Amino acid sequence: MQKVGNIDIRSLTLGFKNFGSTKAVVEDFSFKFEAGSFTSIIGSSGCGKSTLLNAIGGHYKPLAGHIFLDGCEVKEPNASLGIVFQQHTLFPWKTVTENVRFGPMQRGASKAKANAVAAKYIEMVGLAGYGDYYPKMLSGGMQHRAEIARALANAPAVLLMDEPFGALDAQMRASLQSSLLDIWKETHLTIIFVTHDVEEAMYLSERIVVMSRDRGRICEVFALDEPFPRNKDKLFASEGGRDLKEKCIGCLA
Amino acid sequence: MNEIRAGVTDRGQGQAMSTATEGRHKVAMKPGRGAAWSLRVVRKVRWAALMASAASLIAGVGLWQWLTESHVHLVLDFSNIPTPVAVFEAFRAVVVTKTFWRDIYWSMYRILVAFGLAIVVGVSAGIAMGYSAILRLVIAPYVEMLRPIPAIAWVPMAILVWPTTEESIVSITFLGAVFPIALNTWEGVRRVPKELVKAARSLGANRMNVLFHVVVPYAIPSITVGMALGMGGAWFALLAGEMISGRFGIGYFTWESYQLIQYANIIVGMLTIGFLSSVSTGSIYYLKRKLVPWAE
Ligand SMILES: Nc1ncnc2c1ncn2[C@@H]1O[C@H](COP(=O)(O)OP(=O)(O)OP(=O)(O)O)[C@@H](O)[C@H]1O
Ligand SMILES: [Mg+2]
Repeated sequence: MQKVGNIDIRSLTLGFKNFGSTKAVVEDFSFKFEAGSFTSIIGSSGCGKSTLLNAIGGHYKPLAGHIFLDGCEVKEPNASLGIVFQQHTLFPWKTVTENVRFGPMQRGASKAKANAVAAKYIEMVGLAGYGDYYPKMLSGGMQHRAEIARALANAPAVLLMDEPFGALDAQMRASLQSSLLDIWKETHLTIIFVTHDVEEAMYLSERIVVMSRDRGRICEVFALDEPFPRNKDKLFASEGGRDLKEKCIGCLA
Repeated sequence: MNEIRAGVTDRGQGQAMSTATEGRHKVAMKPGRGAAWSLRVVRKVRWAALMASAASLIAGVGLWQWLTESHVHLVLDFSNIPTPVAVFEAFRAVVVTKTFWRDIYWSMYRILVAFGLAIVVGVSAGIAMGYSAILRLVIAPYVEMLRPIPAIAWVPMAILVWPTTEESIVSITFLGAVFPIALNTWEGVRRVPKELVKAARSLGANRMNVLFHVVVPYAIPSITVGMALGMGGAWFALLAGEMISGRFGIGYFTWESYQLIQYANIIVGMLTIGFLSSVSTGSIYYLKRKLVPWAE
């Protein structure tokens, strides 16, 4: 069986029209995200991480270049390309359960089956018992977790996550990090994970891509060979770990 | 006379205000006194406010009785106005007649038909304008051109083009309601956040499902605002239609009372219209709370 979830980006240029003139945010970006890989993208604020992620999800039309998912060009959003957006995007008129089961039901699952899937992921993100709540009744972090559950419940081939754990406390963050790694191991989906947090990127990913503020160019790609599950203390205390962290932070500056 | 009237309302308001501010002062100055105590103050203030309103109403009715009884003629001709007692007697006489209830029935029936049509047409037009650039170009000119024409101005044309007065009244009522509904629906659809549409698309929804699961639900609060405004417009237009060309209806009742010199019945008609109109608007707000528990 051929693995699915291969993202191939070829000399991609992205930009926005502002007052008539087009400003390139990301220019000539090429990268391959292998099927089943876990890649983190770090970069300073405003360097174009969200723009890139949205484009991979099919939400922005490239000014030039191409994005391929398993050989087919991405032209439209698509259920195989799940996104956890940086902003809150739960549907306010749907309860948590209704939000989470939305994807499966759009893809034709029966209500009973969709409910079962929803319950599983709601429990996983620690929101068991909140299924009947409307988003406005949840805290910001809880809304973010419900959003993660919604993206996962759709079983996408590629999961694009835009600073998904940024709003959470350390404990919840650690618990969701390990849940994410479990899911990744179980389903072999491709994860592209945007974060500000170098340690988080080191703990989770096989590769770290550092984007520069200069038109979203790739500064550096670091590979981490450390096998999973990783031990945070050991990782950050080891010579290689400290070295890598310093290099990443050096790149960001 | 004006002096006396001003005096009465002033005193009423003055009392209400002083009790309200006193209450607030007490709450503000002794914050640590426990919830039960402040609740008692809130209740007291509310009761005082209620009493102030009641007193104001009673004073108003008393003033009305006095002005009309003594046939005052000061700017307004009070000798033509029936006394409140006469109005109450007229109401008692009218409320047992079949024609009164028939008139109410006809007015409500016309409102329901016209308003139902206005919801269907207004909401569809609003969604079409908000969701499709081409349909907007087709529909918006008509909306922008016809909207400023008051419903009453349609009366002559309506009588000319429809075979019966019944249809012309319903069509005028429809025109009174449809524009606020269409415009508010359009506004609601236009304001749908891009992020929500993006999220739905990424979860596998096609354009049609985005419409039903994202765009329409998002617009519902705005649609209900349009409906409440439209209900006011519908009553306004209905009354115009009924007074000018109707054979039944509460507007016709009011106008007929004038022509038959039954002045007390005019006021009965007016108060009935006010009551029916506020009940129908209230039922829309009730519907809104039922429909959108997630908002506010
Ligand atoms: N809709 C838009 N229209 C115009 N310019 C935009 C738009 N969205 C983003 N930009 C610009 O693109 C650049 C990159 O934005 P982007 O949101 O991708 O940054 P980011 O790397 O995700 O930053 P952060 O870490 O703060 O989320 C910014 O300079 C921003 O001003
Ligand atoms: Mg961002």
